[in-house]
Amino acid sequence: MAAVPARGEAHDHDPAPPFDPELAAALEALKDMVPRELSIEDIPLMRQGPGIEMLARLDLTMDGFFEVEDRLVPGPEGAPEISLLICRPAAPAKPGPLPVIYHVHGGGMVVGTNRVGVDEPLTWARELGAVVVSVEYRLAPEHPHPAPVEDVYTGLLWTAEHADEFGGDAGRIVIAGASAGGGLTAALALLARDRKGPRPLGQVLMCPMLDDRNDTPSVHQMAGLGVWDRTANETGWTALLGARRGGPEVSAYAAPARAEDLSGLPPAFLDVGSAETFRDEVVAYASRLWQAGGVAELHVWAGGFHGFDGLAPQAAVSRDCREAHVRWLRRLIGE
Amino acid sequence: MKELAGRLTAVDPDAGAAVRVIAYFDTLAEARAGLEALVRGAAVLAGCPARLVDAERRVRVRVEPDGRRQDSDLPPDPAWPSAAVVPGGAPALWLERAGGAEPSVVDAVILERAAGALRLVLDRTRGRAPVSPTDDPALVETVLDPTVTERDRLHAARRLCLDPDDPTALARAVAPLGGRPRILRVRGDARDAGAAGGAGLPDGRVGVGPAVPVLGLPGSWDGARTALRFTAEGSARDPGERVVRADDLGGIALLAELIVPGAEPPPDVRDLERAAADSPWMLATLHAVASTASLRSAATAVNVHHSTLQDRLIHAEALLGWPVRTPQGRLRLHLALTMRHLARG
Repeated sequence: MAAVPARGEAHDHDPAPPFDPELAAALEALKDMVPRELSIEDIPLMRQGPGIEMLARLDLTMDGFFEVEDRLVPGPEGAPEISLLICRPAAPAKPGPLPVIYHVHGGGMVVGTNRVGVDEPLTWARELGAVVVSVEYRLAPEHPHPAPVEDVYTGLLWTAEHADEFGGDAGRIVIAGASAGGGLTAALALLARDRKGPRPLGQVLMCPMLDDRNDTPSVHQMAGLGVWDRTANETGWTALLGARRGGPEVSAYAAPARAEDLSGLPPAFLDVGSAETFRDEVVAYASRLWQAGGVAELHVWAGGFHGFDGLAPQAAVSRDCREAHVRWLRRLIGE
Repeated sequence: MKELAGRLTAVDPDAGAAVRVIAYFDTLAEARAGLEALVRGAAVLAGCPARLVDAERRVRVRVEPDGRRQDSDLPPDPAWPSAAVVPGGAPALWLERAGGAEPSVVDAVILERAAGALRLVLDRTRGRAPVSPTDDPALVETVLDPTVTERDRLHAARRLCLDPDDPTALARAVAPLGGRPRILRVRGDARDAGAAGGAGLPDGRVGVGPAVPVLGLPGSWDGARTALRFTAEGSARDPGERVVRADDLGGIALLAELIVPGAEPPPDVRDLERAAADSPWMLATLHAVASTASLRSAATAVNVHHSTLQDRLIHAEALLGWPVRTPQGRLRLHLALTMRHLARG
């Protein structure tokens, strides 16, 4: 850990790594559309922002490649039903059950639907011949921890138990998510391990939100910069955890960085931008996975802000990033 | 998520999009982004392929709207919206948008901003633009330098794609005035550019050395530089050949050793200068007399009637103090004109 500065050592005045030129240009052009310093009061507005309107126009069938179904399944004990978006190849290239990508959407724990960010797993699934199941979970602050992660876990249980109903292979479920969805995915892997639930084939943690303490050097370095800064992060975690945020009593199933034991987890792909709040917590999490004897692949994309490949998918670094996802999945699934 | 173009138009299709385009390219330029990033920006913002073609600098970049680099050898369609990278220059940046209608406001802003940013990058990187090894000035200089060891000259020659092991492979050194040395390969049929015609030679005054085996190129370079001293602008003030081949000089080449550039010129040259100061037609007329087969041909060459030429030559002989229409006088004139070139500083 010598290379990673200790918590709280950095000052807010440390210069931030520059954004990649193409990413900086996209950010400049779209700066009023992305969350930077989000407060609790901004959440209702953000839930109705222009992003939602664009998502409504997303072609989930990808030109007819997928058959799309919204399925309501039972929720956790005493909780409402969960909506699963299921996209399966209409004409699979191979016979037999298909690998499943179980997707957990992002949105800082406070916004989003199972459509948010699903275009990327759909792209993988088209490439790899897989089914995508994207879970809708209850959002904070109306539904604090553990509501979101319990919904996500319950959705995975249903997916594993009913995989044959949609042509999926329960033995080959890859769990994946970006941002808050990445944090929930990491938590899902811990929960599935500890409850002896379905064992995912792998976990894809894209710029995951892992640490409620919100005080790594990159958190301080990127304050007021890029996408999803320290203030927004505090808003998201406080919505999920209330006054417990940053305190001693936070569960690893809420903030996976808090986990004492990272052994026995499925192989992980982690990536993060070098110019984002989450950089240091993601690098640290990958290191701890290796230290626990785990399988993990970490990519730190130089000059990447939070969620850069979604905001500027055409940029050279975004294309490299997205290719890295597919390549890793191809190696994992081995087809 | 939707592509950037989709986001831009989804939010505000008109003026706001133009403002965002400007912000996009300004930020790229500020971060000193490269050519591909700029062409990609044009493709992504326009939502159609964009391409940059700068033949002179050997730059060819084409990017699909999804950001993929995919170059094409097909010529651009003149109907596509386009912009010059140099003000007033030929189109160099295209948006591959079919239809041939007037470009939209947003397209026009994209082209204008991208072209401006591309121009800065091209200007900044022009000196470092990739050159083929056959143009590498350092290699050429090595092959022409007699003080470099044979081994190093042979190594450089191979990198220039000259084959020192083939005894029939010959080359010539070429000395352009004020330009970098060049090397011309001599093809087997001997009808190489240095021997016939001017194809493959740079513009302006050029001396061409003799065809030699690769290790003889320092000698060919000496010959080329000597030949260059015999060249002229080909203008009224400086009539003569722009391209002179060392092979064609023969014994005349010896004059180059006798005349020191910039030193006091020989008396016949001083006579010539005095005569030239008298009439603007003088030098061209005398050059025509010295370099054509007959006075009739000389009259045609300077575009005057035969009798006018006779009048001019009577006047010239009076100023020079020696005849130009006798065989001996014509030789003296030829030598004087040649020494005038050699005596230049």
